[in-house]
Amino acid sequence: MTGSTRRRTGSGTGPVTRLLPGPLRVLVIGVLLVVVLAPVLYMVFASVNSDLSVAEGAFLPTSLDLGNYLRIWSTVELGRGLANSLLVAGTVAAGCAFVALGSAYVLVRYAFRGRLAILRGLLALQSIPGTLMLLPVFVLFASAAQLLGIPVIGTRWALFVTYLTFALPFSTWVMVTYLRGLPPELDEAARVDGASAWQVLTRVILPLSWPGLVVAGIFALLLGWNDVLFASVLTNPDSRTAAVALQVFGATQEGGAIPVYGQLMAAALVCAAPVVVLYLVFQRYLISGLTAGGVK
Amino acid sequence: MPGRHRPLWLLAPGAVLTVLVIVVPLAVALHISLLDLDQYSFRQWVRAPFVGLANYTEAVRASGAVHAIVLSTSYAAIVTVVTLPIGVAAALATQDRFRGRGLVRSVFLVPYVLPAFVVGTVWRIILQPDGVANGLLARLGIDGGLWLNGRQSFWALVVVQIWASWPLLYLLALAGLQSVDPVLHEAAALDGAGWWDKLRYVIFPHLRGPVGLAVIIAFLHNINNFTLPFVLFGVPSPRDVEVLPVLTYVESFQNFRFGLSAAMAVLSLVLIAIPLAGYLRAVRLDVGQDGVDQGSRA
Repeated sequence: MTGSTRRRTGSGTGPVTRLLPGPLRVLVIGVLLVVVLAPVLYMVFASVNSDLSVAEGAFLPTSLDLGNYLRIWSTVELGRGLANSLLVAGTVAAGCAFVALGSAYVLVRYAFRGRLAILRGLLALQSIPGTLMLLPVFVLFASAAQLLGIPVIGTRWALFVTYLTFALPFSTWVMVTYLRGLPPELDEAARVDGASAWQVLTRVILPLSWPGLVVAGIFALLLGWNDVLFASVLTNPDSRTAAVALQVFGATQEGGAIPVYGQLMAAALVCAAPVVVLYLVFQRYLISGLTAGGVK
Repeated sequence: MPGRHRPLWLLAPGAVLTVLVIVVPLAVALHISLLDLDQYSFRQWVRAPFVGLANYTEAVRASGAVHAIVLSTSYAAIVTVVTLPIGVAAALATQDRFRGRGLVRSVFLVPYVLPAFVVGTVWRIILQPDGVANGLLARLGIDGGLWLNGRQSFWALVVVQIWASWPLLYLLALAGLQSVDPVLHEAAALDGAGWWDKLRYVIFPHLRGPVGLAVIIAFLHNINNFTLPFVLFGVPSPRDVEVLPVLTYVESFQNFRFGLSAAMAVLSLVLIAIPLAGYLRAVRLDVGQDGVDQGSRA
């Protein structure tokens, strides 16, 4: 009995686990590929097309002008924007990953009162609307500058502190789910040998945590890279991130004769490229991190 | 174990930041929502006149806040309801093995991976009155009309957000599918169930938990989204897409009605409270000894 069942499933694992009939699967995938790729291709086409042709609604480019990719560095001031984005988002990523590791280690390995409340808080804080926080953060930064007599708003520090804090709940949650996967025997053995908590964390847990740290860091980086809300209020032309530089450039195109669509598209592609590459390289790890908050 | 030291101080950096940049500002937001604060009283905001609930009354009666709440809720609900079957269908289609599956899965993620400010910039050009979208519609004999202004702008926002956000449901549904026990497939095959019966009686009941959670997460993402409407339509935005995050932003940083804006922001917290409570109830916070493999699932 069992032998025949096993043989049947063994010889045909494909058909047994198959979910959709072949033609339907092809249809679903085909339609979605077209829907996803058409706007992406259009973005590439429009970035080399003439602005007039884009304005007339052409999908395929009538010219191939790579000059847009050169012009954007002076018109959009994309260089400065990308440098600011990289500096702020990069330091946020590194800082956030390590702060999250410390918090997650305590939350996973030690029992204390308030632990469940903190875990619940990590999830709840991710859903707080940014628009609720923007005004009070702005007010507090302005007051802090008055008190301390140094500028806060307009500096990269203001963005750094803001993004670091808002990225922490999700990054900590990612590290919590990651550290739960490490066998507790590892650090118990070290502790029996007389290692302090700090030594266990830095010598046992940290070397094993790089995959988790990378995921926690990338999500923090994305938060900083993609933000427009806080950066539009907390920066000045010198500390502007790429996201705001692009948005401001797009807004100034209104009301002109023919907007420089090609440069807009080229600049948008350049802003998106690092993020997309990062995602595709670390895809497997990032997906497991992303679903950690949703599944279970 | 006597004297076993718990390194709770490791929580301190995160706790200090959270208190300074989230908890205190939340209290300040509540306080400002009770003040008559504008650009003149701003520098001395602590001394701005206390007006009780007047800002809330104005938000509900005289400003566009009620209109914005209705817009935000309906837009978030429509997007979530439409992306649900798309995400599940995409997950079902890419769960079966076939050649090129890895590539298809990567491409499916692209809209979600693109920053919202890039998505908004691209679609703003696509949806221009003489742009490529209307060019395509004209070929089909349809007059597209205006997408970035007037009544259709609401549907433009819905369509673009669907395009940008369906991969989230796809990812979460895929994670749910991957946890289906192979034994269930075998049982369905032995019973001779067709593909639809199998989906309906075996797969969908199994997905109910993870996909239900995904729906809540997607709804919260949609309703809190500021960047897409802000970049797609600019400010001041057309009234038909003046969703609550955008209206709150405009009242603060265009009209300088800080007290009114804070009241709207607090109302937005009330708006997400119900789905958020559902989310917190549904997620398992803690895993016992049985759930140690949680972090290692790839």
